[in-house]
Amino acid sequence: MGRGPARAAKSDEELAARAASGEDAAFDALVSRYQERVYRLAWRLTGEPEDALDVTQEVFLKLLRRLGSFRGESRFGTWLYRVATNEALMHRRAKKRRPAESLERFLPGFDSNGLHRSTPEALRVPAQAGERLDRERLAGFAMGAIERLPEAYRVAFVLRDLEELSTEEVARTLGLKSATVRQRVHRARLMLRGYLGHLVEENSR
Amino acid sequence: MTMNCERGVARLMDYLEGVVPRAARERIESHVAGCARCRAFVVSYRATPLILRVATARKPTVDERRRLLAALSARRHGRES
Repeated sequence: MGRGPARAAKSDEELAARAASGEDAAFDALVSRYQERVYRLAWRLTGEPEDALDVTQEVFLKLLRRLGSFRGESRFGTWLYRVATNEALMHRRAKKRRPAESLERFLPGFDSNGLHRSTPEALRVPAQAGERLDRERLAGFAMGAIERLPEAYRVAFVLRDLEELSTEEVARTLGLKSATVRQRVHRARLMLRGYLGHLVEENSR
Repeated sequence: MTMNCERGVARLMDYLEGVVPRAARERIESHVAGCARCRAFVVSYRATPLILRVATARKPTVDERRRLLAALSARRHGRES
């Protein structure tokens, strides 16, 4: 019967306050509401299911420990994304992965007049990746490509374009200016776009 | 400053987010209207996040959810004891 009030509660902040006062059902409701998002973000930032699960667990344990001090100083979702991002990055750094080959070479090319070097047909090719590549292979390539982005770009791109936070939400989550977020996301999009085009062409031969 | 593909691409995200001042926005729109390469580029630029979002979507498995809840439950009851 204790679950009723928690289920009826609408806002994250209210659930957090109830959880802080010892209402288990409120904490369960927060976990239920956010576990998929936290897991998916962790997966996209670490690239390993087991790491994603470890990060998700650590994020909710951290929430459990901090419930008492959580005063809604920032929106709950922003707080959770910030903690999840930091946990995922720490997890990743601890693994000391080999530096991956840069995606810089996939940036668009221009001639001396600042005009696209490629034809319209070639410039459209990356948009065909979803249809022309096998789904499982594309998933593997996609994670590999995101992995190859510099960390600052990777985090901004994952939060903005994959988790679909607004630019302002990403800026608040990462403590950056919106213009900085846009610049990083844009750079990531340019590299990933070029890489998708490369994949389509390579797999069409 | 004369608009060209490179300058337009440099401002594409700002343009799509509506933070480019009006005069610059009009220069970009005018260039893109007459440039088949830029129109093709915009199509693939806009498609890129969606393709990667779909390709990297993943949910915790039933087993992973169970392990998560078990770990949280153990810690919570440990805290309360």
